[in-house]
Amino acid sequence: MHFGTLIVKNLLRRPVRSLLTATGVALAVGAVVALLGVARGFEDSLLQVLQVHDVDIVVTRAGKTDRMTSVLDERWGQLLAGLPGVEAVTGALMDVVDFRDANLIGVFIQGWPSDSFLFDQLPLRSGRRLHPGDRQCVLLGAKLAEILQKTAGDTVQIEMHPFRVVGVYESYSLYENRSAIMPLEDFQRLMDRQGQVMAFHVKVSPGPEKAAAVETVCRQIENLSDQQGRRLPLEARPAYDYVKSTLQIRQVQAMAWVTSVIALVIGAVGMLNTMIMSVFERTHEIGILRAIGWRKGRIVRMILGESLLLCLAGATLGTLAAVAGVYWLSGLPVVAGLVQGKISPVVIGQGYAIAVLVGLAGGLYPACRGARLSPTEAIRHE
Amino acid sequence: MSDADALFRTVNLTKVYSDGSVNALVDANVLILQGQYVAVMGPSGSGKSTLLNLLGALDRPTSGEVFFQCQPLSAMRDLDHFRARQLGFVFQSFYLLPTLTAAENVQIPMFEIGCRAAQRARRAAELLELVGMSHRAGHLPRQLSVGERQRVAIARALANRPIVLLADEPTGNLDSHNAAQVLELFERLHQQQQMTVVVVTHSAEVASRAQRIIRLRDGRVIDDAPSFSTC
Repeated sequence: MHFGTLIVKNLLRRPVRSLLTATGVALAVGAVVALLGVARGFEDSLLQVLQVHDVDIVVTRAGKTDRMTSVLDERWGQLLAGLPGVEAVTGALMDVVDFRDANLIGVFIQGWPSDSFLFDQLPLRSGRRLHPGDRQCVLLGAKLAEILQKTAGDTVQIEMHPFRVVGVYESYSLYENRSAIMPLEDFQRLMDRQGQVMAFHVKVSPGPEKAAAVETVCRQIENLSDQQGRRLPLEARPAYDYVKSTLQIRQVQAMAWVTSVIALVIGAVGMLNTMIMSVFERTHEIGILRAIGWRKGRIVRMILGESLLLCLAGATLGTLAAVAGVYWLSGLPVVAGLVQGKISPVVIGQGYAIAVLVGLAGGLYPACRGARLSPTEAIRHE
Repeated sequence: MSDADALFRTVNLTKVYSDGSVNALVDANVLILQGQYVAVMGPSGSGKSTLLNLLGALDRPTSGEVFFQCQPLSAMRDLDHFRARQLGFVFQSFYLLPTLTAAENVQIPMFEIGCRAAQRARRAAELLELVGMSHRAGHLPRQLSVGERQRVAIARALANRPIVLLADEPTGNLDSHNAAQVLELFERLHQQQQMTVVVVTHSAEVASRAQRIIRLRDGRVIDDAPSFSTC
């Protein structure tokens, strides 16, 4: 018999209690994996959008935590384009609209200049890209077109204005596939933000030291001044840093962690309760084990082993449920394109790491309590 | 008789339980030689189980000392190791782990001596053979009769090849047939393996199988004499 066999048999002694405890851990770990998975998917998706379009730097208004409230003068793009090391610059405006008829909320609409380099990496499924001089036109992402049941040549109502669908694109990013792109001028008018953009996307010239070049360009952008010598209120961040610092992503992650911590505390308390009960019920046996020479350390290992095994079983159940749940969620029209169907292995690893922490937190006190039992008192215990 | 023959020697061994009201053992001086078969007798509350617990390092004396092979137990740094290596315990209520088979129960003490799983299984099979329980190796305690449970418990006590067997009322829960089998087993271990056996018992019949009987009353040793049936 292996030591592990003893641990498994101890857990199987009370199968219902073990199953319920593992289920509690499964719910906690499942919540962690699902919430963090969705948050991470959101972040990956946004980063993917920038990477796919070769965006190296995102420039927003300095001091604005929320990207959506960033307001920049469209003309500053020319100053950025003139900096050494900058290959291309494009202004972009973005907002969120609802398509109530299709029961679709929170759809991102982007306004890009018709000659933007961002169109270079936007494969079209049907129709054409935007041309200079296009007005009241829109390109739909494949997922959005599917949900709205629109194709090139159809008309969609956006903010109560009709827009002609000139093409449908299939981006590599889920996030972009659920959005729409229209000429910047149209979108500025629609949002009453003429002459404004929300951000500039900057593409840095290719070279051997790209990361260093990106940092240099960022510094140059932040040091730009207007004709009166006043420093422009610009904040330039490499794409990865920009995504990491995006308010919405930080909020989603914070909510995911807060919810997860609550779930984990509940899981740990459940585990603590189970293990304390288990030790109490086995006081007699633990006394016998101590009497026949088992060291305190082995008693601790046995009880902690039971606690960890329960947590790992719960983590496996919870992870499977989270993976299935997120996959199912990603197929729902209302969130399609917002939630990635896959969960990163890093998030799954985090779920297991947290399960181990729950196991240790819930098992350590009962294990120490069991190990401290005096053999004679434990044997006398009824 | 020299000190070299002494397995256990107690000097003024006293145990007062924590509330101070019960003098479980008072100035007990006992010498148990290597290879002896000793019975400890006395009425309930006379201190015989307390004496056994102190000999077995399960409890600490209030005063006095227990010497094992001339070494004071109070100076031993690792009493768990001492119990695992030198002592085998047999209890009145067997105390087998209910979820483990007979063979697995026998292996439990062997985790502390660092042998491999295959060695543990082999040793358990040998011991079950010794106590006549090979045919029940795969059975759980609840599937065994009380006599069989006690024989498995004895096999467990022998797992780490102890030099002394400490038994607390080993036949207390057994019928006469099973009790006789257990006592025969003790005699066999004593005679064939020169094992030291210390048995705590109420029963004069059980005590009569020992070489020596130590009688206790109110925590004091009142008599220490050879057993008439064996000497």
